[in-house]
Formats: sequence, C-alpha cells, structure tokens
Amino acid sequence: MDAVVQENLKKILGGELKYTSANLAFNMLISKMQKRVQADPANAEACMKEMDEFLAKYPIVAKVDLANIAAL
Amino acid sequence: MLITLEETVALINEGKILHIAADESLLDKLPKGKWIGGTTPYFIGEEGGIYTKEKLFVNEIGVAEDIRVAVYGKYNIFQIVEECYDNGLTMLIIPYGSQVAAKYAKEAPEVEELLMHPVIGWISGLSLDGTGEARVYDGTTGKYYTDRAVAMYLKLPEGKTAMVNMINIFSDDKTDPIIRFNENDLSVEKCSVNGQEINFAEYIEKKGIDTKMPLVADYNGSYINTSIKSIENGRVNFYASVFRNIDYRFATDVGDYAAEFRKRIDAAEAHAPVFSCNCILNYLYGDLNGKKIPPYAGPVTFGEVAYQLINQTLVYCEILG
Repeated sequence: MDAVVQENLKKILGGELKYTSANLAFNMLISKMQKRVQADPANAEACMKEMDEFLAKYPIVAKVDLANIAAL
Repeated sequence: MLITLEETVALINEGKILHIAADESLLDKLPKGKWIGGTTPYFIGEEGGIYTKEKLFVNEIGVAEDIRVAVYGKYNIFQIVEECYDNGLTMLIIPYGSQVAAKYAKEAPEVEELLMHPVIGWISGLSLDGTGEARVYDGTTGKYYTDRAVAMYLKLPEGKTAMVNMINIFSDDKTDPIIRFNENDLSVEKCSVNGQEINFAEYIEKKGIDTKMPLVADYNGSYINTSIKSIENGRVNFYASVFRNIDYRFATDVGDYAAEFRKRIDAAEAHAPVFSCNCILNYLYGDLNGKKIPPYAGPVTFGEVAYQLINQTLVYCEILG
C-alpha cells in the first residue's frame, strides 16, 4: 500500500482525519477500528492490518477509496 | 420482478438460481431447486408498493458461478463467515421473532471477519392482520423453518465483487442529546442521556418523541437505524439491537418519504441492483403502497441485513466489475 495512504489511514483511525466512504462495509470497519483504537491505542497496528486486508481483498471497490484517501 | 406461481415454477425447473419472497401459500407450492425464500405479502414492485398473496417476488441471480445453501440455528449462525465463498455474496433470510434473529441482531457487529464477506438479507414476516407465520425456505430440500435462518452462498466469477449498500432516509441533528446504552440488547429499561442515567421509556414520554422515528447511530458517516417496536411496563423494545459504546440520537422528522427516497436514490447512483429490500416501517409510515422507487424493487421486510441487522432502511447489492 502507498505510504501516503498508509499514513492517512493511521490518521483516520486516530481521528485526526475524517473520511467517509461510499462503501457501507468500509465505513462500518473504520468505525469499529476507531473504537478499538480509542479503547486501547496499542490496538492500532492490528487495526491497520485489518484495514489493509479489507482494502486488498476487494480491489475493485477499494480503488476509489484508496485514491480519495491518498488525496486527503 | 413480481410474477405468477406458474412463471416461478418454470424458472425453478429451468435450473435458475433464485431468491424468492412470497406468502407461504405460494412458497409451499414450489418444487425443489436452486432457491431460497422467505415469507412476506408486502412488496415494492416495478409498479409500486403492493400487498399481494397472488404473486411472488423473484430475483434471478444469473451472475453466480455456483451456489451452496445452508440452514443455521442460534448456536451456529455465525458459521456464515467461515462457510461462504472467498469471493462471493451471502444472502441470508431469518424468520421474524426467532431466537436466531435475536442472536444475529445482538452479536453480528462483534463477529470477527463479518465485514470481510458481503452479507445481505432480510427478516421474513407475515401479514400485519396476524395471519400466517414468518418462515424461511430452503428450496434445495423443500423444507421450511420458523426457527432457523437460511443462507445462500453465491460464488462470483473472478473480477466481480459484490457491494452491499443501503439507502437510509434518516439522519440526526448533532445538537440533540446523545443517548447511550449499557448492553447489546433488543429491550432496555435504562439509558444515559448526555451521561446521565435515566429510564428510557420515561425520557421518550417526557420529551414527546415520535417513536416512528428510529434511533440513528453514525458509523463513520453511514447512519444505522434501530426502530422502536413498543414501550411496555417501563421497557423500550426494539426491532434490532442497540449496542453499548455507540452514540445514538433520534432521527429528525422526514416529511415526504417517497420524495426523500427519490433524492437519496439519485445520490446513490446504483444502476442495477441484483437484490434489494425495504422495511415494512418505511412502507407503512411512508405510505409507499402504490409508489415506485426504481430501480429498487423487492420484498418489504421485518428487518434488513446489511452485514448486521438494521431497521427502516432500504438495502441493496450490486455486482461490480
């Protein structure tokens, strides 16, 4: 994954950046991961991995999100 | 498409992969085949919202390369995340009022991997005059169930992806108080409002809140609704679960449901959903009988599944790629 996307995803998880997808599942995942990180910041790495896996599994759907997140 | 019993039987006998919604008097007459079904006499047809026990709503899922059908109870419903195709879509139908529906409502959001596999579905129901019963049908065996969920796993060709989405006409007013609950539950007595613990039923009464409006929770910009079923003996009962650690507000009023749907549908830009369903509460409160909301047609349901169980929402699936 692109370094900028990676960095911005971390910021989204931490609540420093706001990004809403057109994909319901991705929004649900972001919301779930943000709560995990809020509960314990040590979860951040595992949450990033889960986000990576999600975006890698569905490249057709993720293409737009990746471009949008890179542009944040 | 809403079609006759004879037309539906012909499609089954041709070996088509089908999702079928209809009154049980019709579903009982179908031959075995590659189909699953659930009960409802309410539909949004191509000609508008309709109540009928004379026709079946049939989705032909032509894109699937292969299917498997399985039946689950409350102890094994979450095997759906293990038994689905790696690249596929799971269509799930659960009977209204069943223990498996309650289990799914309360626990689905916490299931690992749930969001990694597209799941769409609905809660089957019955006529609001009280006749009939909520059932699901496994067309491969010809059996029906009132206490089990039926899942159809659809295998998609390489390069195709299922995208489950929703159209929710409700949103909240961020200046309204935040409501939180202590447990994941379908029925609650207490809640906290802006941090102060109170009786939820009393709060609703005192504030004069219209319980036709759902609670909404903001999941990173996607609003998830939970509808109030009843208030009895100081408890508030819901059609789907509320969850601890989620901030809720009551939805703001919607004037013209059909017009609001039209606005959101235009914004969604979905062109060819392979499946959609809409909530019975939208049908009733929005007076959708006779009103069209193309391109979305399908069963009118007692709860909608877009990964987790939600309410008062139109859910749909498109195949991309």
